[in-house]
Amino acid sequence: MRVTFPHMGNLWIIVKTLLEDLGLEVIVPPLPNRRSLDVGVRHAPEFACFPLKLNIGDFVGALDRGAEAIVMAGGIGPCRFGHYAQVEAQVLHDLGYDAEMVILEPPRGHLDGLLAKIRRLSGGKPLTRVWRAIRFGWEKLVALDDFDRALTRARPVERLTGSAARAHRAAAARLADADGVWATRRVGGEGVREILRAAGLEESGRPGEPSRGKPFPRLRVGLVGELFMVAEPFANQELERRLGEMGVEVLRPLYLSDWVRTHLIPRVFQPGRRRRASEIKRAARPYLGHFVGGEGLDSVGETILFDRQGCDGVIHVAPFTCMPEIVAASLLPEAGRDLGLPVLSLFLDEHTAEGGLTTRLEAFVDLLGRRRAVGGAREKW
Amino acid sequence: MAMAWQLRLKDGAVVGLPRALLFYELYPFWRGLLEALGLRVAVSTATSPKVIEAGTRQAMDEACLPVKSFYGHVMVLRDRVDAVFLPRLVSLSPGTYTCPKMLGLPDMVRQNLRGLPPAIVVDFDARLRRRSLEEGGESVACRLGRSRGQAREAVSRGLEALRTFRGSLEAGRSFEEAASGAAPGWKTPLEGWKAPAAGGHPAPTRPGPRRPRVGLVGHAYNLFDPGVNLGLGRKLAALGCDLVTSEQLSEEEVQTESAALPKEIFWSSGRRILAAVTRFRRRELVDGFIHVVSFGCGPDSMVGEIAERETRRSSNLPYMALTIDEHTAEAGLLTRLEAFTDMLARRRARPETPEGSVAAEVTA
Repeated sequence: MRVTFPHMGNLWIIVKTLLEDLGLEVIVPPLPNRRSLDVGVRHAPEFACFPLKLNIGDFVGALDRGAEAIVMAGGIGPCRFGHYAQVEAQVLHDLGYDAEMVILEPPRGHLDGLLAKIRRLSGGKPLTRVWRAIRFGWEKLVALDDFDRALTRARPVERLTGSAARAHRAAAARLADADGVWATRRVGGEGVREILRAAGLEESGRPGEPSRGKPFPRLRVGLVGELFMVAEPFANQELERRLGEMGVEVLRPLYLSDWVRTHLIPRVFQPGRRRRASEIKRAARPYLGHFVGGEGLDSVGETILFDRQGCDGVIHVAPFTCMPEIVAASLLPEAGRDLGLPVLSLFLDEHTAEGGLTTRLEAFVDLLGRRRAVGGAREKW
Repeated sequence: MAMAWQLRLKDGAVVGLPRALLFYELYPFWRGLLEALGLRVAVSTATSPKVIEAGTRQAMDEACLPVKSFYGHVMVLRDRVDAVFLPRLVSLSPGTYTCPKMLGLPDMVRQNLRGLPPAIVVDFDARLRRRSLEEGGESVACRLGRSRGQAREAVSRGLEALRTFRGSLEAGRSFEEAASGAAPGWKTPLEGWKAPAAGGHPAPTRPGPRRPRVGLVGHAYNLFDPGVNLGLGRKLAALGCDLVTSEQLSEEEVQTESAALPKEIFWSSGRRILAAVTRFRRRELVDGFIHVVSFGCGPDSMVGEIAERETRRSSNLPYMALTIDEHTAEAGLLTRLEAFTDMLARRRARPETPEGSVAAEVTA
């Protein structure tokens, strides 16, 4: 059975590894692009949120290349994502595609149901084999997230625009081919060093001197918001690259491995994660006292935690009409006012124009820079 | 049991109910409950352009019209009541949610609106329990410093009112009739439409000279608030249509239809809408569907798509998604309704012509 899955940032490298290790033939959809977006926008419900439209584009691309089944995640609400698979199945069916949709519903506190589905996908391989595949995929995920973190540190100080990104691309390509856990770890360590070196950084990440035309000490901006929009550069118009090239260090609380930890791994195995979740909840409490689905509560809590870390500002991204993030966006200005922290909420979709976004980002970064100049560097950082 | 978070309200203090969102599903319960606790209840005035404007100014742009209207209604109540009632309606039946915005609503309102009187905020969460209204109602009583006995009594008064209300809605009465029947003291009847057909579900449609019957589906707060839907019910009645609404389904009917799905919808309103469309279609109760959708409504963007595609696949009934927001103009709306009802009339006049289903999806 040839299977495919939707794109979300670097996720494909891990999912491909995982599924191939289970003995499946994997068709990776073309990376999200203008063309796949057009396909998605044409066939998806008009008022569906942005990630669904990109999903449809991915699926059509992969099915046209011979995929027969789709692996998709489910959910229990109240965020719309939990019904993506149902709607997508109907859209594809009405388009004349005959694809099986394998929906991995999130385990409620335990992994049994999920494991059973994965085993079925793998044709009944023994659990130890499945476990090995998962371990292997996990190693790659962690390594990739390390690459991304190194890139956000390297970009603001690189001499030659794009050199850190080039090193990142090369490292990611090698990681995709890495075979086995140990090879993955080795490639992971090397990759981080290379990305940092491309920007003249030692592994500690301390810059020797500021590069020309970029403020020093550099501005630090926290990036919060809906997971997909944060993780998928095509969806967020390469927000991290744009900010990095303006000399801003982007801090992301939510890397894919963190998401997997929070959503797929039972809490008992990771006491630290529980602390992090309750820390976010506690921080958000004065503004939002209840879970609202998706990452809404996290966006509020993380913004406040970023302030405590001494960030210069916070950028909040979400797809247009995203319900949990609308709640967050209603509360963030109030939190920002109380804390004296500039917060920029960006609701993006297929209509977002590059020029307008650039202008807003430049204005925001200017504002942060000026605050720095007037008030001096915030003492907390 | 005096606690720090208790809200001290004198007997006869006035509690304000914003006439928006789930007010249209739970008003009799709220009224029964609060009055039995010795409070007086004030309902904000009917939704008007002024109310919506007040809300739009305070809420963020991306919020949907019903939420903006809710803000407006709270503004109406702000200086006129001793406390506002802002329950957090997480879930009204097991395994479902209302909508993320309703989960965050009490926080949004209290953060975004200045100078509010004290708010009664209590969670109603039936996701893992069966008795959301009972437990939530008792928490309200507890919050107000009432005894257990008083709490139970108040909850049962509320539930009784709610049962009467649901009964009349399911029998096809209008919201105003049902509400005033269930909770006497309803002083300012809303403008509204005439009851479409009294006495349970109407008979299946038969060919012959008969008024076209429209299945009007959507959230109760969109169907029942003429200030939000620009008097949709009256307009359709004036165009010679009979109406059946998704609120006429009983909870059991919703459950039955919902359980037949491969994956149940996890929004309670979504369950109801999809169940209504499926049931009306299968029992041939309607000539076409109008789905009233708020612009930017998350649940309806998914549920509506499923409902519309199902309808198109298994029948030739027309299905119109009518999107409304604060910019919707009356003339544009009327044109669309006229076109839709004209089409229904033509289809009825020539029932033998197999016409493809017409799915219109234009933002009004």
